Amino acid sequence: MLSNSIKFVFEDKIKEIKNPDPNETILNLIRLRLKKTGTKEGCAEGGCGACTVVVGELKKDKIIYNAINSCIAFTTSLEGKQLLIVEDLIKKDGSLHPVQSAMVNFHGSQCGFCTPGFIMSLFAMYKNKTSYDKKTIEESISGNLCRCTGYRPIIDAAKSLDKNKADQFKKNEKKTISLLKKIRPKNICINNESKKYFAPRTIDELKKIIKKNENAEFISGGTDMSLIVTKQKKDIKNMIYLNSIDELNYIKENDKYIEVGGTTPLIKFEFIIKKYYPDFNRILKRYGSVQIRNVATLAGNIATASPIGDSLPLLLSLDASITIEDFKKKTVIPLKEFFIGYRKTMLKKGQFIRSIRIPVFKKNIFKAYKISKRIDDDISSVCASFNLTIVNKKIKNIKIAYGGMAATPKRAFYCEKMLLNSNFSEDIIVKAQKSLEKDFQPIDDMRASKNYRIEIAKNLLTKCFAEIKNNKLIRLSY
Amino acid sequence: MKKILYINEKRIHDSARKHVSGLADYTDDINEPNGTLHGAVGWSKQAHALIKKIDLSEVWKSEGVITVITNNDIPGRNDVGPVFDGDPIFPTKKVEFYGQPLFAVAATSTDLARKATLKAKISYKTLKPIVTIKEALKKKNFVLKGKKIQRGNPTNAILKSKNCLKGNFTTGSQEHFYLEGQVAFVIPKEDKDLLVYSSTQHPSETQQIISKMLNQKSNSVTVLVRRIGGGFGGKETNFLTSSICALLASKTNKPVKLRLDRDDDIIMTGKRHDFYSDYEVGFNDIGVIKGLKIKLASRCGMSADLSGAINERALLHIDNAYYLSNVQVQNYLCKTNTVSSTAFRGFGGNQGMMAIENIIDNIARHLKKDPAEVRKNNFYKKNYKNITHYGMKIEDNVIQEIFNKLIKKSNYKKRYSKIKKFNLNSRYLKKGIAITPVKFGISFTTIHLNQAGALVHIYTDGSVYLNHGGIEMGQGTNTKIAQLVSNAFGISYEKIKISSTNTSKVPNTSASAASSTTDLNGAAALNAVSKIKENLEKFIKKKYNIKNIKNIVYENGLIKFNNKSFKFDSIIQEAYLNRISLSSTGFYSTPKIHFNKKTFSGRPFLYFCYGASVTEVTIDTLTGENIIERVDILQDTGKAINPVLELGQIEGGFVQGQGWLTMEEVNWKPNGQIITISPSTYKIPASSDIPKIFNVEIFKQGKNKENVVNKSKTTGEPPLMLAMSVFYAIKDAVASVGEYKAIPKLDAPATPEKILMSLKELKSRISHNG
Repeated sequence: MLSNSIKFVFEDKIKEIKNPDPNETILNLIRLRLKKTGTKEGCAEGGCGACTVVVGELKKDKIIYNAINSCIAFTTSLEGKQLLIVEDLIKKDGSLHPVQSAMVNFHGSQCGFCTPGFIMSLFAMYKNKTSYDKKTIEESISGNLCRCTGYRPIIDAAKSLDKNKADQFKKNEKKTISLLKKIRPKNICINNESKKYFAPRTIDELKKIIKKNENAEFISGGTDMSLIVTKQKKDIKNMIYLNSIDELNYIKENDKYIEVGGTTPLIKFEFIIKKYYPDFNRILKRYGSVQIRNVATLAGNIATASPIGDSLPLLLSLDASITIEDFKKKTVIPLKEFFIGYRKTMLKKGQFIRSIRIPVFKKNIFKAYKISKRIDDDISSVCASFNLTIVNKKIKNIKIAYGGMAATPKRAFYCEKMLLNSNFSEDIIVKAQKSLEKDFQPIDDMRASKNYRIEIAKNLLTKCFAEIKNNKLIRLSY
Repeated sequence: MKKILYINEKRIHDSARKHVSGLADYTDDINEPNGTLHGAVGWSKQAHALIKKIDLSEVWKSEGVITVITNNDIPGRNDVGPVFDGDPIFPTKKVEFYGQPLFAVAATSTDLARKATLKAKISYKTLKPIVTIKEALKKKNFVLKGKKIQRGNPTNAILKSKNCLKGNFTTGSQEHFYLEGQVAFVIPKEDKDLLVYSSTQHPSETQQIISKMLNQKSNSVTVLVRRIGGGFGGKETNFLTSSICALLASKTNKPVKLRLDRDDDIIMTGKRHDFYSDYEVGFNDIGVIKGLKIKLASRCGMSADLSGAINERALLHIDNAYYLSNVQVQNYLCKTNTVSSTAFRGFGGNQGMMAIENIIDNIARHLKKDPAEVRKNNFYKKNYKNITHYGMKIEDNVIQEIFNKLIKKSNYKKRYSKIKKFNLNSRYLKKGIAITPVKFGISFTTIHLNQAGALVHIYTDGSVYLNHGGIEMGQGTNTKIAQLVSNAFGISYEKIKISSTNTSKVPNTSASAASSTTDLNGAAALNAVSKIKENLEKFIKKKYNIKNIKNIVYENGLIKFNNKSFKFDSIIQEAYLNRISLSSTGFYSTPKIHFNKKTFSGRPFLYFCYGASVTEVTIDTLTGENIIERVDILQDTGKAINPVLELGQIEGGFVQGQGWLTMEEVNWKPNGQIITISPSTYKIPASSDIPKIFNVEIFKQGKNKENVVNKSKTTGEPPLMLAMSVFYAIKDAVASVGEYKAIPKLDAPATPEKILMSLKELKSRISHNG
């Protein structure tokens, strides 16, 4: 059954938006249509967190609360969910939610403009986490910028929260669940003036839509694509939303590989990958804020093909492959062949990434590093990834990949060749460093100069081998 | 009953509950009347060019567009310069920076207005831009004539000194990144009057600039500001947004809202001045400076704006806390084809202080001494060596006490040697530590700005309405002033209503700037209170026949005349019935200050704020990354009106300073295009960047010697400079790589890139020399 309206739970009721503009952001919905002004626009690109809202989703009869950036999410993505904004946290009697009270009592607001966003990020943490230690708090607010307080009072407010206190949402849970059950996502098809939007529920339906709409853009988390609307002020005329397709949201693990579905959010993936490759998890924690990782996907990072996409060098060094599909057939492509130029890939119109397969190298050493001006929520100057084994002091099976060093994320084949089968020594590292100059001729931009890029690329090689040699991590403890 | 005090207490910010509930209204949140239009600005894509043609035909045709304005639509003054001309709203012949407004649109929605601006066709004749300080110095391109000030004979003193150093140093620019961007909302009223809501630190100047632009009298424009979402100086003189919005509203006779998109905000509005200094210094064996010659050049951008005052404050703070017996400073106000640099917390003072701190640090490294000792050896003394290079006697010096106390409290000495040991045993990760002092002068150096007004009403139910000229931008000035007023009347804080700053209630105000907002406006409010009290007391004395009582006490809702006391609320009602005025304006002008700009001498400051901080960092010498392990701060706030708000200013100011000196980097292309224009390319500190251990303490013995409200000292700007210790701790860690034998060359901001390059240069210099 096709529907052209979006239904979601808002203020304890089902809210229906008939035939919405597919390019309308949730922030504009809230501020301009629902006329609620507590949620603020700070940057319109998901970089400051002032617009943070929480989206409740029914998962196995439980509500999962995710903080997202409402400035770069479309209204249509609310289908079947609950929308919570800062005003909703005030109780009916006018008293404050524990998160709000804590922020007041700890003097966590000064100018107050970023505050609603912090409240919502902390609210999601309050609902989802079992402890509020410093790491958890910092991670939860890593996507919220404050220019006044210096964060200390906000962190202290968060630390003070009492996990055992049930809030009004806990008390109201049954009712909300029954509302959410009434509006389970439908197969959506919108045709608003010149703009089309599809949200199929199954891969079969998806293929039918692709067949008729070969030029449509695929959207999942949309954290990059939405910028076309919010930053370039252009329209996305024809969009196919993949996140209503349950078949695409999965992680499969076995002895040989981990397979990640096209729409699996990073927040879910980072938890699983930690067991296999701890450094992969560490990089993902710094990939972007929680708001971004709640919706962003590996497939999206791959399809965007940015030279500074943080997961890409890691996937390259792990020899990942991807399955791409259109309405006719499936193709498996090794990732190293996928990137063909600056933001250009082998993906053709009508093709989507169905899954990513990452081999499990049980005996290998895997290391990854991200260098940026700021620790959290920054774009890499350089990102490097090393995957190798050492057998009888000889370097074997080495795969090295870098981001930020060329027009695409790229393997360092010259460097690999220099190291392969060599004895593990400082001499060979120096030679391998030299060969990186053959692999890469980076550029200057606002994030780093080419000299700095080549310098750290070399130094990260040193770091990798120093860590192997000393059998410990040589890193700043963030 | 004990007297209830409403000062010196930890009261929450008056808007805190509204902040956390999303119920605090900012300009963009004000309910729009039907028919409100939305604006957007079209700006130059060239940094320096003659305008050949502006073709707006497609803009006019764009969906939803109601009107388009250019310089031809300006009936009056086409300039928003607050002190000097040079900041056209829309330039007529020549563009002077990438991002300079050229036209604006009003449309039925913000989205349509912004889309329309992209359809303009503008042709330029490109001219060569001057982008950097060095280019401007070479071409002698200045916005204003520089100053040269001198005390003693520095040339001679340097010649005679046992040791001498020369060098140069740079500090970077900084984007304000207030979370609420520039926004204005203008509603036309009868008689062409305009009601202007604007996110500004300076409503009075907004009023004047708009009225001059429209050729109307100031009394036809009213500016209202309830609160702003951060300012930091970035909303002190930025009048473009409100002027353009007013022009659109005036032309269409419709309410118009203009909110800049974040990118446009960063591109179109001014930032902190970056500074370049060249110095020559002579000093003795314990590091005492005998003679100093220094040249200070700053990137002022395309116009003078506030650059004169900012560069002057740099000159006034070139001493920081140090006595300079023979000194010569010459400054250069470089004109560049970049957006006009403007006020930013510190206002040039911080740049001057960084320059001298760099010199002191280098002296210590040259002498292989602990920089903390060299700093101490140069401090101003209490009873001698206490006259500044501009002739002001320092009467309130507490820097030694603060510095010594902090050294003890932070365990500096022990950690200093521990770190040296750590570095011997750690090949790649290195630690550094530094302590730096702050002495910062308080008052506008433009003397006439040191005035303020207030308006206080008491209604017949005993509730109080309070209005003053200051802007609430997060610092809590409204809370603090309401505390002062409630304390003065002896009535509960809840009875005081804090209202929007409004040019029709308090006229001719100064900007909320120079850390002086509460000092000035609080005093004006108290002046109003004392006038009302005078009326009340006269009335009571007459009616109840009370004589010869001088000591009248207002406390706990009572007015006490020795044995007789009156309930505040009832006496107000009674006073009203007896036709006694219960309303008053208040006024304050800062006493004692004077400054001769020609001779560069006098007493520009009423008092000084003092503080110090110790920072310990770790750097990764393979990547240049760094973290702040621990910070200890001791700051003099005088007798704080509200210690928690002061603490918030200290911590927040520190982190903002940390951003300025470590990660925040504004980049321009050689053609003058700014490329760090959004949070994805411009990084301010996030929560994980703050010190792992962060001990902030207020100096308990603090008390303002001058007659400032509650004997307090401001905490607006001074804490920003506490972050200097972060930079010198990083430099200390870099120095460890050369075994502390050579002076690292490190400029600010110490980004990972700058740190790594500094390490590289240091290593190659050492291997070359040895």
